[in-house]
Amino acid sequence: MYRRLLININQVRNRLIHTHNTRLTLPSTKCKERESFAPVTWAPCTARPLGTSSISFSENKESSTSLSEDKGKTPEETELETEPVVKPEDRKQVETTKSGKESLLELLGAMKVEVTTVRKIRPSKTPRMSERPDQEPMESTHSMFQRAAAEGSQQHGTLNPALVAAVSAAASTLPNRHQAESELLKQLRKHEAIPDTQRRADIGHIISDMKVGKRPNGRSNVRPTSQIRFDDDGKGYTQDRGITSELDGVRRRKSPFTSKRLNLFAAAAEQDALSDLGPTLWDIDLVNQIVQATNQMPRNGFEEMIQWTKEGRLWQYPINNEAGLEEEASVPFHEHVFLEKHLDESFPQQGPVRHFMELVITGLAKNHHLTVQQKKEHIDWFRDYFRQKEDVLKEAEAYLN
Amino acid sequence: MASSCSQALRHHVCKSSRILRVHLQKAWPNRSFVLNSAADQQPAVSSPVEEIVIPKKKTWSKEAVLQALASTVNRDPTASDYRFQDDPYLTPKTSSEFKLFSLSQESGRNAAKYFISTYPKYFQKDYAQPHIPCLMPETLEAQIEEVSEAALIERIQMRKVKAAVDLYDQLQQAGTPVSLDVTNQLLDLICFYGDCDPAQENVPEQRNEETEDVQDEPQTKKGRASKASDKLKAAWKENNNAERIFALLSEPNTHSYSALIRGMVKYGAYSKAFSTYTDLLNNQLKADVSTFNALITAAPEVKEKYNEKWELIVDLLKQMAEQKVKPNLLTLNAVLKALRRCGTVGKSQAFPVISEMRALSIDPSLASYNHLLSIFYKPGAPFQGQTDILQEVMNEVSGKSFTPQDPDDAQFFITAVRICLDTKDIEQAYRVHELLGVGENWRLLGNDFQQNIYHARFFSLLCMMENIDVVLKWYRDLVPSVYYPSSNVMRDLLQVLDTDNRLDLIPQIWKDLKQLGHGNRQTLVEELLTLMAREKQNQEVQETFAECALDIKKMYDTGDRGKVMMSWTAGSLSDLVSVLLAAQRRQDAWEILKLFKTHNRVPSEELLDKFLTCIKESGDVNQALELVQISAGFCLPGTPKLIQRVQQEFLLSEQQKSMLSDLEIQTFNSD
Repeated sequence: MYRRLLININQVRNRLIHTHNTRLTLPSTKCKERESFAPVTWAPCTARPLGTSSISFSENKESSTSLSEDKGKTPEETELETEPVVKPEDRKQVETTKSGKESLLELLGAMKVEVTTVRKIRPSKTPRMSERPDQEPMESTHSMFQRAAAEGSQQHGTLNPALVAAVSAAASTLPNRHQAESELLKQLRKHEAIPDTQRRADIGHIISDMKVGKRPNGRSNVRPTSQIRFDDDGKGYTQDRGITSELDGVRRRKSPFTSKRLNLFAAAAEQDALSDLGPTLWDIDLVNQIVQATNQMPRNGFEEMIQWTKEGRLWQYPINNEAGLEEEASVPFHEHVFLEKHLDESFPQQGPVRHFMELVITGLAKNHHLTVQQKKEHIDWFRDYFRQKEDVLKEAEAYLN
Repeated sequence: MASSCSQALRHHVCKSSRILRVHLQKAWPNRSFVLNSAADQQPAVSSPVEEIVIPKKKTWSKEAVLQALASTVNRDPTASDYRFQDDPYLTPKTSSEFKLFSLSQESGRNAAKYFISTYPKYFQKDYAQPHIPCLMPETLEAQIEEVSEAALIERIQMRKVKAAVDLYDQLQQAGTPVSLDVTNQLLDLICFYGDCDPAQENVPEQRNEETEDVQDEPQTKKGRASKASDKLKAAWKENNNAERIFALLSEPNTHSYSALIRGMVKYGAYSKAFSTYTDLLNNQLKADVSTFNALITAAPEVKEKYNEKWELIVDLLKQMAEQKVKPNLLTLNAVLKALRRCGTVGKSQAFPVISEMRALSIDPSLASYNHLLSIFYKPGAPFQGQTDILQEVMNEVSGKSFTPQDPDDAQFFITAVRICLDTKDIEQAYRVHELLGVGENWRLLGNDFQQNIYHARFFSLLCMMENIDVVLKWYRDLVPSVYYPSSNVMRDLLQVLDTDNRLDLIPQIWKDLKQLGHGNRQTLVEELLTLMAREKQNQEVQETFAECALDIKKMYDTGDRGKVMMSWTAGSLSDLVSVLLAAQRRQDAWEILKLFKTHNRVPSEELLDKFLTCIKESGDVNQALELVQISAGFCLPGTPKLIQRVQQEFLLSEQQKSMLSDLEIQTFNSD
C-alpha cells in the first residue's frame, strides 16, 4: 500500500513536471490524483525498502536524464523527501538496518538542500548571495524554477503549492483526512525550517560520491562541452577534451591575443567621406576574388534555389502577402476598387448600358489578376464598343444620354 | 484618403506600442518569474495583468524561407556531391572522375554562355515572364559609335582597355574635356589590367587557366608562385598609357594616385609605387586606405632586412594615422601577410598588430589567423615552443561563424590542419574540423582542390593518431562523399589496420580501393597481399582473403580500361599462393604456381616447402612429384631437401621412386 502511495506520488511528480512544461493547470492533475488514490487505504506498518526502492528508481532516472531536465525536477525532489519525514517511526527502523539506503536518502537530502538554500536566499536577499554568485548565469532555468517555487512557497507559508497539493492528495487517501494533512504539512514545514548551513556541510562529500559532472560549488568556467564526456556515445570525437577545456579558462587569461597594442592609431579616428562613386573596379575585383576563393557550390536543392533567387532566375519564394507585387507596389488599393470615376460622360448616365457597365466595374473591382492599367483598358474597350454601336442602341432605345 | 487614414493608424499603433515596450522593459526583470509562477499558483492569487507585446515588424530577405529550409538538410555521408545527383551515371568514384565531371559541367555552362554572348541575335526570344536579365545575352559590342564621353564610359564599363584609351586620345585631340571622375575610372581600368586587354571573360580559355592553376598548386601550395607568374606575364611598362594619361591630368586627385599606385603594386613596380606616393604627398594630398594597403603589400619587396621591412610598415601605418585614414581589415591582413616575410620580427610584432586592430574594432578574419599561423609555423621548420599558438588561435576562433572577407580566408583551414599534422596534434585537428561545421564556415574551405588537401591531411593525421575504430568511423563519414583518398593515404589506412590487428577488414578495403581507382597501384596491391599472407587468420577470414586474392589476380590479368598494367613480382605471386594455401584452395594455388614460370619469376624455397606440407595433408602424390619437378626446373638449391621430404613423407610407387632418384642425380650434377 505504501508502495502504491509512493508510486502515486511519483506519478504526481511526473505529471507536475509535465505541467511545468505544458503549463497545464494544477487542479486537473489533482483531480486525477484523487481518482487514482481513491481505492488506496492506509496501512501504516509496511516496510521501508519499498520507499527506498522508489527513491532509487527516481535516482536512476535522474542520472540518465539530461542536465536541464535534472534541474527542472529539483523542486519536486522535495516531495519525495517528505516521505521519510512523514513517518519518523519508520526512519528509526531503517537506521538500524540499512546503511546503504540511508546514504541514498542522504543524497536526496543533499539534492534538496541545494534547492532550499537558494529558496531561502532569493526572497530574503541575505549576504550569502555573494558567496555563490557563480551559480546564476549557468543555471538560468534552474533558478527560474526555483524563483517560481519560492514565490509559491511564500504565499503558502514557505511551502511549495505543488507540495501542498501532493500532501493533500496523499492525505485524502487516509481515513482521518484533515489530521493527516495537517500533520504532513507540519512535518514539511519543520523540514524546511532546518537551518541550511547544517546541511550544506555534508553536500560536499555526498555529491562528490555521486558521479555527476557538476561540482556543488558550481564552477562557472566549466564549459558545457565537458558534459559530453558523460554521454554514452561520446567516444572518440570529444575524447580527452576535458583537460584542455578546463585549462582553456586559465590559458585565456594569458592569451597573446590580449597583448599590448602598437598604439599607432587613435581609437576614435574617423574616416573622411571618401567612397563617393560607388564600387570601383578594384572593389568588384576583390569581391570576385573572394567568390573565386570560397566554395560557392550548393550542397542541396534549397541552396541551389537560393543561388537562383539571388541571380534572379527563380521567382522569389513568397515571404509575405505582397509577393510579386513589383509593378503594382506603388498603386494604392482604391485605384483598384473604386472604378466609378472611369464611367464618365462617355457612357450614358442611366439605362441598360449604364447598368451593364456598373456590373463590369464591380467585377473588375474584385479581380486581383489585372493591373489598374489593364482594368482601364477593359473599360476603354467597352467605351469604344458602345460608341461604335451607338446607332443600333439608339434604335433599340437602350442608349439614353 | 484611405491610405492616409491607414497610415495615420499605423503611426498611432507604432507610437503606442513603443510606449508599451518602454513600459515593459522596466518590468522585464520580473517577467519570466511571473510567467513561471503562474503555472504553480492558484488562479485566486492575484497575478499582474497580461501585457501584450507587439513585435517589431521584421523585414525578411527574399531567401529567408529557403535559408530556413536549407538549414534543415544535413549532409548525407552516403551520397555524392549535390552537383552530381542529377545523373547517377555521372556519380564520380575517383578523384580524377570528380575533377573531370565537375570541370566538364562548369565548362559546359561556360560554353553555352559563350555562344549566347557571341551570337546574341539567335537568342533574342524572351520566354521568361517576368523578364530574367541574367538569361539574356550580354552585349559585348559597343553600342555608341560617336566620339563622346558617354562612349568612353561605355567602353570602360565593358572593360575594353585599348578601345577606351583610343577613344580618350580622340577626345583629347578633339579638345573635348573629359571629367576627372571618368578619367579616374579609365585609370582604374588601365591600371587594373596593366594596360592590356583582359582575356575575354566567361570564355573557355579563362577556365582552362584556372584549372591549370589548380594543377600547379601542388608544387606552389600557397598560390604565391601563381601570382608571381601573373606578374611575369604582364609587368608594369615604363611610360605606359596609365602614366601618360596621368601626366595629362592637370589636377590629379587621391583617386587618380590610388589607381596608379595600386596598378604599380599589382604589376610589380614597387619602388615606382613608393615614388608616386611621395609625389602624392608633395601635392598636399591624402592617400586613401586602399593605397596604403597596396603600399604595405609592397613594403617587403623594397627592403632587404627584416627590421627595415618592418620599419617601413610602421612608418606607413604612422602616416595613415597622421592623415586620419582609418585602416580596415584588409590593412590588417596586408600587414600580417608582410610580416610573414619578416622572419623573427614577425613573431614579435604579429600579436601587437592584432591588438592594435582590435582596439580599432576591426575583428580579424580567417585570413588574419592564417597569416598568424604561417608566421609562427614555417613549413619544414622545427616547432619549438610554438605549439601553443595554434591552440590560442583555436581558442579565439572556435564556435564562431565567419563570412568571407578576404581572398586568403580560404587558406586558413588547410594551414591549420597542416600544422596539426606537423605537430601531430589530433585534439586541435578535431577543433579545426568542428569549426568547419559552424555556420557558413564550410564555404571557407575553398575550392575542390583545397578541400581535397584538407581532408587528406585530416585523414592522415587520424590514421597516425587514432585507433582503428575511430579511423573507420571517419573513413565511412568522409569517403567517398567528400574525399577521395590518394593511394598514399590508403596505405596509411592499411598500416592502421595492421597495427590494430584488424586485418579481417582488408577485403572490404580492397573493394573500396578498386572503386577509388587504386586497384592498379602496384605497391599498394603488393602491400595488401603481404598483409594478407603474413599471418594465419581463422578459417572464415582466410576464406574471404582467398576471394579477395583471386579478385586481385583478376586485376593483374585484365587491367582496368587502358590503365597501367601491373606486372607480377616473385613476392606478390608467393604472397598470393600462400593466401590461397592458407584457405585450403590448393587447386587455385597450383594455378598461380604455374604463373611463376610464365612470368619468369622464381618461387622461394619456403613457399614450395609450405606447398608440399599442404599437398601432404591431402596426400596427392602426383602433385608432390610435380612440385619437385618445378623446383628442379628452377634449379633451386632447396630441391634435394624437397626430394628428401617427398621420399620420407609420401607412399611412393617404384616408378615414382626412380623418378625422384633421377631428379636427385640431376640436381646433384647441375650443382
